[in-house]
Amino acid sequence: MRSELSPRAKVALYGLLCVLSIPFLFPTWWMVTSSIKPISDIFAFPPQFIPRSADWSTYEKVFTLQPFAQQYWNSCYIAAIVTVGTMIVSSFAGYAFARIRFPGANLIFLVVLTGLLIPSEVTIVPLFQMFLKWGMVNTHWPLILVPIFGAPSVFATFVMRQFFIALPGELEEAARVDGLGRLKIFWTIALPLARPALAAVAIFTFLHSWNLYLEPIVFLTTPSNYTLPQALTQYVDVYQGPMWNIQLAAATLTAIPVLIVFIFAQRQFIEGLAHTGLKG
Amino acid sequence: MASVTLSNVTKSYGTTAVIHGVSIDIADGEFVVLVGPSGCGKSTLLRMIAGLESITGGTISIEERVVTELEPKDRDIAMVFQNYALYPHMSVEKNMGFSLEHRGTNKAEIAERVKWAADILGLTALLQRRPGQLSGGQRQRVAMGRAIVRNPQVFLFDEPLSNLDAKLRVVMRGEIKGLHQRLKTTTVYVTHDQVEAMTMADKIVVMNAGRVEQVGTPIELFDRPANLFVAGFIGSPSMNFLPGGLLGEAATIGVRPEHFDIAEGGLPATVTLVEPMGSDTQITARVVDTEIVAMFHRRVAASPGDVLPLRPMADEVHRFDPTSGVRL
Repeated sequence: MRSELSPRAKVALYGLLCVLSIPFLFPTWWMVTSSIKPISDIFAFPPQFIPRSADWSTYEKVFTLQPFAQQYWNSCYIAAIVTVGTMIVSSFAGYAFARIRFPGANLIFLVVLTGLLIPSEVTIVPLFQMFLKWGMVNTHWPLILVPIFGAPSVFATFVMRQFFIALPGELEEAARVDGLGRLKIFWTIALPLARPALAAVAIFTFLHSWNLYLEPIVFLTTPSNYTLPQALTQYVDVYQGPMWNIQLAAATLTAIPVLIVFIFAQRQFIEGLAHTGLKG
Repeated sequence: MASVTLSNVTKSYGTTAVIHGVSIDIADGEFVVLVGPSGCGKSTLLRMIAGLESITGGTISIEERVVTELEPKDRDIAMVFQNYALYPHMSVEKNMGFSLEHRGTNKAEIAERVKWAADILGLTALLQRRPGQLSGGQRQRVAMGRAIVRNPQVFLFDEPLSNLDAKLRVVMRGEIKGLHQRLKTTTVYVTHDQVEAMTMADKIVVMNAGRVEQVGTPIELFDRPANLFVAGFIGSPSMNFLPGGLLGEAATIGVRPEHFDIAEGGLPATVTLVEPMGSDTQITARVVDTEIVAMFHRRVAASPGDVLPLRPMADEVHRFDPTSGVRL
């Protein structure tokens, strides 16, 4: 039974929660407000938490100094393809590892899992060599193919496998009696039930792709091909010093899709974590 | 409707044999219950009939068609699972019509069949609900609805009542039996509960350790158990087994608890427990080293420590070979 709090305790609780939320909200607040401040105000002491004036021209400069719209589009479509691709690969692979008995299944899964243990810094040079040979350097292919078939997808496969393992076997047997084959069972029974896990995979994958930094700086050389994390580092003056307000304006714009994804998918995300047993 | 024949069916997992040559004939329209203790192979046998489990040897035929190598969908059977196995993301209506939809039946006919099944099972008001919004009994009904919608040749039930509380189990038992009487579809029903078996079956197959111990009507099994296992398994409380020596015989003597009299010349039994049940009285007593449970359909005034002369009713005594356990 939930006990009702007294009004005074409620006020105290909400007050405490507000205080605790400051460390989480402050960086965002600082980023957004600094993006419309002159650089001198950003470093003023005492700090200016509320801007004295709003200079929105920084947002205009974001787009004039670099092909930011193109870079934004690059990040968007790469993250979308990687997310959809990873969902497809990981749900098929996870289902196969969880549900289909085939010789060496556990050994193969173990080999696949070891992919998680190898840091991307270790594989980046051989990957570069490989994509160079295939003529794919300075294209978006490495940023699409590596996450879909590499370590991020291994993690997603693991999440999906854990979900499918927990799915009652009787459901599939009932579907077999109802006349469904393996692929139909996957498509009409297993996959619709895996929505929470798929949502978690989608969010993880989208964020991973959106924030990918090492691969773009290794594989991409032309500014119009850049993705956002790489583009953010390019707002510098002639002395290579960061143009903070413009950079923070670009960072604010970069954070928008992430915020949207979290706001709309947070429930699914939490459910997904609970379902997959990844909850802390 | 169809007959089902199992001929010398065996099943092994590697070198471990779990079903040892089972042969059963199930007549068209018959309600057959496979009963036995946990791990006796009854569910495995049912799953083998369904095609969910491969068989190592022998053949299974449905209506004289060998189905051993056929997929479940090609056997024209419907199964009700222990945990119902309703698709959680579909409404009751969709769950019930799913197999028909998958088989390409037209929408109007699906709707008609689902309505027919829902009417029989009292599910009409629940058709738009999801399984998660139903009680245990309602889910059980939906699982049955899903099975009958297709009008299969054989119904298979795998311990369908084991997740229900005792009261609901009795209600659902009646409903399943009523459904069978109405549809007359050949039914194979697995349970470990011998009361379920006795009350529902036209024919009971008693299994133990992967073998069939006896096949017969409930009354045959109760009145003439083929061996000590069946005698001990069928009937509640279980049959008492007395060493022949107590009654001056060589065979092991089986006496059901309700087949004792308190009469002169009976075995001197020291009462250890008296359990009054309103109209009945159950008495546990000890004769030398043998514990006896006796049931009287009346009130008996006795207390622990009393010595009662318990006499087996002469016509109700069963004799078994002490070595093989077979009925003599």
